[in-house]
Amino acid sequence: MHKAYGTTLAAVMASAALLTAGCGQGLLSGDPGSGEKKNEPIVLGMLIPQSGSEAAIGPYMSNAAQLAVDEINAKGGVLGRTLELKTADDACDPQTAAAGANKLVTEGIRVSIGGYCSGATLPTLPIFAKAGIPMIIPAANSQELVDQKLKNVFLINGTGTQQAAAAASWMAKDGATKVALMHDNTSYSKDIAVRTQTLLDEPGGPETAILEAVTPKESDYSANITKVLAKKPDYVYWTGYFQEGGLIARQLRQAGYKGKIMVGDGSVSPKLIEIAGPEAATGLYATMTQTPDTLKGAENWIADYKKKFGTDPGPYSNQAYDAVRLAAEAVTKADGTDGQKVISALEAIDGFSMFSGPLKFTPEHTLSTGGFQILVVKDGKFALQDDLQ
Amino acid sequence: MSQLVWNGLFVGSFYALVALGYSMVYGIIKLLNFAHGDLYMLGAFVGFAVLGAAGGVSAAMALPLLLLVLMLTMGVTGLAGVALERVAYRRLRGAPRLSLLITAVGASFALEYGMRAAAGADPRVYPVRLGGTTLEVLGARVTLQQLTLVAVAVLLMIGLNLLVTRSREGRAMRAVALDPKAAALMGIDVDAIISRTFFLGSALAGAAGVMAGAHYGKIDFMMGFLIGLKAFTAAVIGGIGNIPGTMLGGLLLGLLESFGTFWLGGEWRDVFAFGVLILFLTVRPTGLLGERVTERV
Repeated sequence: MHKAYGTTLAAVMASAALLTAGCGQGLLSGDPGSGEKKNEPIVLGMLIPQSGSEAAIGPYMSNAAQLAVDEINAKGGVLGRTLELKTADDACDPQTAAAGANKLVTEGIRVSIGGYCSGATLPTLPIFAKAGIPMIIPAANSQELVDQKLKNVFLINGTGTQQAAAAASWMAKDGATKVALMHDNTSYSKDIAVRTQTLLDEPGGPETAILEAVTPKESDYSANITKVLAKKPDYVYWTGYFQEGGLIARQLRQAGYKGKIMVGDGSVSPKLIEIAGPEAATGLYATMTQTPDTLKGAENWIADYKKKFGTDPGPYSNQAYDAVRLAAEAVTKADGTDGQKVISALEAIDGFSMFSGPLKFTPEHTLSTGGFQILVVKDGKFALQDDLQ
Repeated sequence: MSQLVWNGLFVGSFYALVALGYSMVYGIIKLLNFAHGDLYMLGAFVGFAVLGAAGGVSAAMALPLLLLVLMLTMGVTGLAGVALERVAYRRLRGAPRLSLLITAVGASFALEYGMRAAAGADPRVYPVRLGGTTLEVLGARVTLQQLTLVAVAVLLMIGLNLLVTRSREGRAMRAVALDPKAAALMGIDVDAIISRTFFLGSALAGAAGVMAGAHYGKIDFMMGFLIGLKAFTAAVIGGIGNIPGTMLGGLLLGLLESFGTFWLGGEWRDVFAFGVLILFLTVRPTGLLGERVTERV
């Protein structure tokens, strides 16, 4: 019940912030660049989960972005100006995210380089679009973000479609016959599950045994698991986040399931292994874009990160780092921070070197190749199983 | 089929344990204590802290240790419930019901976000986990540890029922529930009885919290929210204020969810379970055993 109060309150705050943002934009609408002075820093904004269920991911992304900002500033900045990073919390929650996006807009950010939870990132798209701010989204990757067809939105993580393709091709390669797809009914998770089902429904290869939705934030998934196991699958693919993923992997094994388990990129977190426990987690597969652990030739970068923050980089550290570098590159090419020119510069980029390989955007502003690979849990860690090349 | 029944009963026994506190508090001061689910969360975190302090233990010692931690946690959450009543509810006892309700919502927020500030937003994992020696009972896979947890839950509920129906203390509770003014005139210390009711209800929620932590492994500061709502529902199904009814209500909700998931799929589970609830309440607004108003605590 009190969740409803929270939602209303957040909605009121969001709409209040929207009004302020609207006013600010009115003042600037003549020329977005005219309000700023040449010697002021170029502000990059980053919406990430710093609280809530996905809070563990936030620091991995903001630290890596800060590392990139510091490196660029040490080399003299961009167009003679320094970069500055401003973060805001989206709590993986649409209302909080909208409020955070408005806050960043009023703080005068020039490029948005955040976005982890797709459900929370979606409502921020029109807010940044109205303010004429280009978005380089490092992690969020639901097809719904692409389907908005907004010119200012660029995704540098593989999309749900690409992830589903990777999942389907791996399961076929691994000899799966009956696949149970489980999702948590969020737009991101359901998108991958449904797209995987579409691919599996094509003749040949594994078949879909069942498409099952669970309620997130619960502890007991035995009812769902009993239903799934009644269809006798030999592969279970969970496309939601790590908290439920850990519980489901554990409860599948407790229910006597002997087949294989695979999880989507939202579940790739050391916490998943901790929650599932070592026995249930070992041998678990995951579809994931490149992580610092699986990057080739990133040892120096990992060492720099560790030296600065005292911890290892984690999921989406590399994408967040690349998002900052890409933003700097686009501003340099556009010779200024005018939103329209930066967007054109991003569209024109060809072969910019990133962790995921040379970058060129498709007409939909997504990566031309998703770069998904298969990880496996070994000795309590996610390690590379197959790069699907 | 027997697996579905077992799944439902297992989840239902958690609902029932938490629902009892709701029901008792409602019975005695007509307050929907929305912070009750958060006492369950508090119990899980207290158990986590105690186990962490105890350090590494061998697997053989896990169960006795957990039972010890369970008792300790019940004491702590019980006292937390008493403190909650003393600080947040007692001064408002004569105030309009809505003020009390909003205070309860406030207390719930305070507990949730207080815990987030103290323990962080990251989920925690219990250091001692109940694994499973699996048994086949009538075609259902049951682990010994699950049986132990259900046995503990049943013992706690039987104990509570005996306490309320057979002891002087229980008689005083029932008297206060019936008519606080008359009870006070008969020489019953109403404040003390209400405090004890909060202690018992909160201790049961704390026990459920530790059991959930040990069985499922993962705890977080919002874990009490959903189960609080479910327990409230269970209490209403059973007839809020009625102890045996509340226990039945918890088990029934667990079964409804289990069968709803199996027949209609996960998306439709809550639609099914709560649809049945609405239908049921239109036919029987007092709940399963709601007519025995004289018994309520």
